[in-house]
Amino acid sequence: MDISNWTRKSLLGIEELSHNEITQILELAKLFKKETEGDMSNKNYLRGKRMVNLFMEPSTRTRIAFEVAAKSLHADVISVAEQSSSLTKGETLRDTAMNIQALGADAIVLRHSSPGASLFLSKIVDVPIINAGDGAHEHPSQALLDLYTLQDKLGTVEGKKITILGDILFSRVARSNFWALSKMGAEVTLAGPSTLVPKQFESMGARVSHNLEEALQDADAVMLLRIQHERQSSSHFPSLAEYTKVFGLNKDRKQWLKKGALILHPGPVNRGVELDSELADSPQSVILDQVSNGIAVRMAILYLCTMQGATNL
Amino acid sequence: MSITCLQGGRVIDPVNGVNNIQDLYFQKEKIIAKPSNLDSKIITTIDVSDKIIFPGLVDLRFHLKNITGGQTENILSASHAAAAGGYTSVLLMPDTTPKPDNPGTIQFIQDRILKEACVKFHLCGNLTQDGKGEQLAPLGSLQETGVIAITDCPNTTQNNQIFSKGVEYASMFGLLVIDLPRDISLSKNGSAHDGPLALKMGLGGYPRIAEELYVQRAISIAQSIDTKIHLTSISSKGSVELIKSAKDKGIKISADVTANHLCFNENCITGFNPNFKMSPPIREEIDRLSLVDALLEGTIDCVSTAHNPFQEHEKNVEYDLSPAGVISFETNLSSCYQTLKENKEFCWTKLIKAMSSNPSRILEIDSGNLSIDMPADIAIFDPNIEWEYGSREGVSQATNSPFEKHLFKGKIMQTFVNGKIAFELK
Repeated sequence: MDISNWTRKSLLGIEELSHNEITQILELAKLFKKETEGDMSNKNYLRGKRMVNLFMEPSTRTRIAFEVAAKSLHADVISVAEQSSSLTKGETLRDTAMNIQALGADAIVLRHSSPGASLFLSKIVDVPIINAGDGAHEHPSQALLDLYTLQDKLGTVEGKKITILGDILFSRVARSNFWALSKMGAEVTLAGPSTLVPKQFESMGARVSHNLEEALQDADAVMLLRIQHERQSSSHFPSLAEYTKVFGLNKDRKQWLKKGALILHPGPVNRGVELDSELADSPQSVILDQVSNGIAVRMAILYLCTMQGATNL
Repeated sequence: MSITCLQGGRVIDPVNGVNNIQDLYFQKEKIIAKPSNLDSKIITTIDVSDKIIFPGLVDLRFHLKNITGGQTENILSASHAAAAGGYTSVLLMPDTTPKPDNPGTIQFIQDRILKEACVKFHLCGNLTQDGKGEQLAPLGSLQETGVIAITDCPNTTQNNQIFSKGVEYASMFGLLVIDLPRDISLSKNGSAHDGPLALKMGLGGYPRIAEELYVQRAISIAQSIDTKIHLTSISSKGSVELIKSAKDKGIKISADVTANHLCFNENCITGFNPNFKMSPPIREEIDRLSLVDALLEGTIDCVSTAHNPFQEHEKNVEYDLSPAGVISFETNLSSCYQTLKENKEFCWTKLIKAMSSNPSRILEIDSGNLSIDMPADIAIFDPNIEWEYGSREGVSQATNSPFEKHLFKGKIMQTFVNGKIAFELK
């Protein structure tokens, strides 16, 4: 496979990627997915490379998926969580990262609560930075695995209508998904309460809806986002119960969806809040496909960023 | 006694309606009339042809964290940075360590100023104790020890009762209240203008209404008490409209804008560069254009620096964790000139009015004009020098400037304070 025209060292966000770059990542992910179904023991693609997972915010799926992805490529993986790092002793992110670099890291996967934290780090250290979520800014690997899943199920997203529903304002997943889907030709609707989905999102090119029925009809897929009640003040919506009443996706509202419309969720799901269990576990749901596709997509990201155009595939 | 003659420059003195090529004389610390018997032996002549001569600039808002210095800006370096930018009088905000909230500390600060400063430092006291907005500060005692204005800037008193009583109490002493208009409940986590760009970047928004509600509050209070309030660091088009309407009604409101808000629009934060993070944030182009028009037509009275030095390790961190504020003394005039001269309404008289005469009038200090017997606080500007600003080569000890590597045309050549050279371009 030709990856010689991949020139990026870091993956900071989807907004900066071209259609071609997105395609390249997904094509490589497809290859890795196929390979992982077989014997990976002699696939030493990243042997000798040292990957550091620097997670300054809690994460289960993303951190483990990056670890599994790196190990599948035979890279060495070191995971650092905020609680176990010197950041709790007052060390700055800059110093922590420079020390990690000095200890011989070949790539840093960063999860951080500050928007732009990955860009900030990429200007300080020489090693590739892979953004695993920076505040409410971007979460590129999640958007790429969502796109992979959608393409896998729908064939293409071009011309398809995708609704992203829930807390868009505080969501990096929504932003990255909007960029990924719109760059690949999908029509994206952002839906939810007006306080969490401001009309100003239209300036990015999205359609904004505050009416659930309208947002669901015609959608080829609906991507639900977790209501992050720990991040929102009481002024964004009155209560989880009220949210569920107005915007929760349940059995009754399933009829508003087109037949066969896919249901996605980046997890963790608040069952009974934004999504009822019956739908989360239904055949329409591709939530677990998203998780498993996440490994292949992250293998592709790690490979492209650490090899930077060189190939031993 | 030796007389100095600044010969052949364009003298801009808005208060006296002067905008001519003429000579300017001063002797010791005072401006004097052209001597009748010119004896060349006692006159030092400085050729300033092709230069612009004006009363030294006056700043209404600048911050200095640590009076006794430390690793960042101190009185000495801040005053030299101010002089390098043509400033001769500056108003120090009260968020210093130690705080100017009692006569003893004020005396201590004044002693340090006397020892170290090469420009005139004026002190601003807190409106409320510790700037916390909870209890009024002892304004009468503060004034007695030499405070000329009061403010809680960079904080804003949120409690309307405390703020309005504070303004009323201050008016008894004729003390000017300076207010940074900001509703904290609407802007607490705001590190960027609340608009499409902040939304895209995932940054917390600081909306226009957080400022405009408090601009209206100040206007209503100034009207009801019939006293002066100065609004500092205005950033939105809506604020400009409110101030214009208040002034039309004769309400005693004055306002300033920073050069950064005249020069940049919100796109400056696209790269998450903390050196563009300020409070209030830089807003949209429509706001910038409105601020420029308002300054040139006089709705906004002054340009302030909001000079706010931070150490590199404090400022150069993740954008949302970085404190708001940038340094400005050395670039303020050059950046204003560069931006405003493109506007058809620009003239030097308006700029000097906004940067010297008006702030002097608002603060009621002895500067801002070149009348006979005034202190010889004078700046000389060469509009033709091309230069690149580099914070590390600058005079300020801090480096948190948004103008790093910016090319300017026009620079301060010399600054005199009380007739003594405070800055001279090497």
